[in-house]
Amino acid sequence: MKHRFKLVLAVAALVSASAQGEPLTNADEIVRQANLAAYYGGADGRSEVRMIISDAQDRQQRRQFTVLRRDIEDGGDQQFLVVFSQPSDVRGTVFLVDKHIDQDDDRWLYLPGLDLVKRISAGDKRTSFVGAHYFYEDVSGRRPTDDTHVITDTTDEHYVLTHVPVDSSTAEFSEYVTWIDRRSFLPMKIEYTNAAGKLYRRVEVLTVEEFDGYPTVTASRVSDLLTGGRTDMQFRYIKYDVGFPESVFTERSLRNPPRDWLERPAN
Amino acid sequence: MKAWPLLFLIPTALFAQDDLWDDNDWADEEEGTLWTGFLEAGLGTRFSEDPLVANRSTLEDTRWRIESEWQPSRYTVGLKIDAGYDGVENEWFADIRDLSVGFTAGENTDVSIGRQVQTWGTGDLLFLNDLFPKDFQSFFSGRDDEYLKAPGNAIRITHFSPGVNVDFVWTPEFEHDIYLTGERFSFFSPVAGGNVAPRFTALEPKSSFNNGEFALRLFRTIESSEYALYAYRGFFKQPGALTPTLQPTFAPMSAFGASLRKPAGPGLFNAEMSYYDSRDDRSGTNPLVPNSQLRLLAGFEWEARTNFTVGLQYYLEWTLDYDELLANSPNFEFEPDERRHLITNRLTWRAGMDKYTTSLFTFYSPSDSDFYLRPQFAYRHSDQWSLVVGGNLFGGDSDQTFFNQLQDASNAYLRFRYSY
Repeated sequence: MKHRFKLVLAVAALVSASAQGEPLTNADEIVRQANLAAYYGGADGRSEVRMIISDAQDRQQRRQFTVLRRDIEDGGDQQFLVVFSQPSDVRGTVFLVDKHIDQDDDRWLYLPGLDLVKRISAGDKRTSFVGAHYFYEDVSGRRPTDDTHVITDTTDEHYVLTHVPVDSSTAEFSEYVTWIDRRSFLPMKIEYTNAAGKLYRRVEVLTVEEFDGYPTVTASRVSDLLTGGRTDMQFRYIKYDVGFPESVFTERSLRNPPRDWLERPAN
Repeated sequence: MKAWPLLFLIPTALFAQDDLWDDNDWADEEEGTLWTGFLEAGLGTRFSEDPLVANRSTLEDTRWRIESEWQPSRYTVGLKIDAGYDGVENEWFADIRDLSVGFTAGENTDVSIGRQVQTWGTGDLLFLNDLFPKDFQSFFSGRDDEYLKAPGNAIRITHFSPGVNVDFVWTPEFEHDIYLTGERFSFFSPVAGGNVAPRFTALEPKSSFNNGEFALRLFRTIESSEYALYAYRGFFKQPGALTPTLQPTFAPMSAFGASLRKPAGPGLFNAEMSYYDSRDDRSGTNPLVPNSQLRLLAGFEWEARTNFTVGLQYYLEWTLDYDELLANSPNFEFEPDERRHLITNRLTWRAGMDKYTTSLFTFYSPSDSDFYLRPQFAYRHSDQWSLVVGGNLFGGDSDQTFFNQLQDASNAYLRFRYSY
């Protein structure tokens, strides 16, 4: 894992060098890099997240949780552990995901009131994550192979790509457009269009900071352009290459969240 | 009802919205002791009178939940207390749902000692190898699903290893289900040949090491499939036996079982079996003691449409040595069928960013010709306020069947909750 991590750094350095030079012209390659930049920083990582969910009347709800992530393979299978701390009715709820590239993800939810380890069927991943405008799929990432990608513009700062789902029944959009930062490869804005041709959903990155050498999103917003609702998201206490053992991502952590690994980094 | 004014004691400051983006909020996790919980008021009433139970109400709860957690050194101390007033039983209550100390012994063993709620097995509202105490009074009266699981005083030791994980729960003093006593709901008595509401208390086994409960689970996940083996030594959780002086009591029972849960096609498949060994009546000839049983379950759950989930289960309760049971039964016409078949269906529809959850859970037994419906609508207005409306509807053809004996208990309920 360590070696792979160094390799990625080297590749990233090469890529950022090339960003100042000739732009990439292969859409699949850009998407591959963007997927790595957005979801695979380091061999593993942790972040604390808080979300403010606002409806059209500006009534607000709040969620706060810690996410631990471990990559089994860069661009490939991953594991996520999400431990909720707020609000009080979801406090202690733990969500475990084994993300697979060649099969459906395995997902478990621990409900502390019942001491119940509930398994969640694969189903539609483009549904609300804990009541937010974020989707389950936004948490762990959409597979690059689920869409076809075309470069529609290359500006000084961004690659602009249009993506169309391979199987239109797997998504509620007919296409989406991303603005990918040419330097960091982070998708900075994503706009979704529905079958009626109407723009209905926007994901925007508001701030990016660097942690352990990785450009990282620290604030973002998802807007539902039809209802006027939105979810604002902030990320703090970010750290990469923590060295999580595999055992952190097992049923053990559902009942007993791993205190040592959930502790905030000293930075 | 008298305790409802309690709700007005909530300091008004609690209602003030925090500044949601206050940066200090991030410190929550690390600073001091956090106290959370809720205040809840619940009202439920039956659709028709039960001639045996004076009170038409099935739920008149005002409860205050207090939760906290401390982490002294390597230990985690959990606390969950419910206190309030139960208007149906006309009494104040204070129930400890959790007061336990957890710690890690060695690298791969977790220990939890104290009062706690425990769950395992694969069934949805059907329990084969989960022989931890259930509270059916709460379940039938419309309290939150959480209250179906009653707490028990136990020591739980879980050892994790690459081969197989081992979960062991020792409950030194037998913890039976919260069974129907006749106080809130009447039930069928084969002796009386009809429903009774005796307000009885079953005789509990004497306290001794041998009369404790020992529950074991071996489990492992291989390639997305979850396998488990179970063993239990204790008692039937319901007072289905009679002493020689005809007092209801709990018969000794051991159970051995297995389960599997795995993804299949668009959803999840689960299967579970358990053999209940009635240790005091292995031949099935003693009419005072329940017979041994074989219990089987198969289920499938999938998201049929976006935000609409369907769960189906088939369950079989197979009473063994059935001929002996009939030959020795003083009132064989009221004995349950040799094979009790049960089909369940859960429909869940979430809408409005999960603010509205509408669900219907159906139990239907083709062999007993009876049913139990649990419709529910839950509205989560905000992080603080939520509302649940629902019902428990029982029906069927004959008086003595499992669900139809509760026909007069059919009720509708309403609960308001303020979480803090």
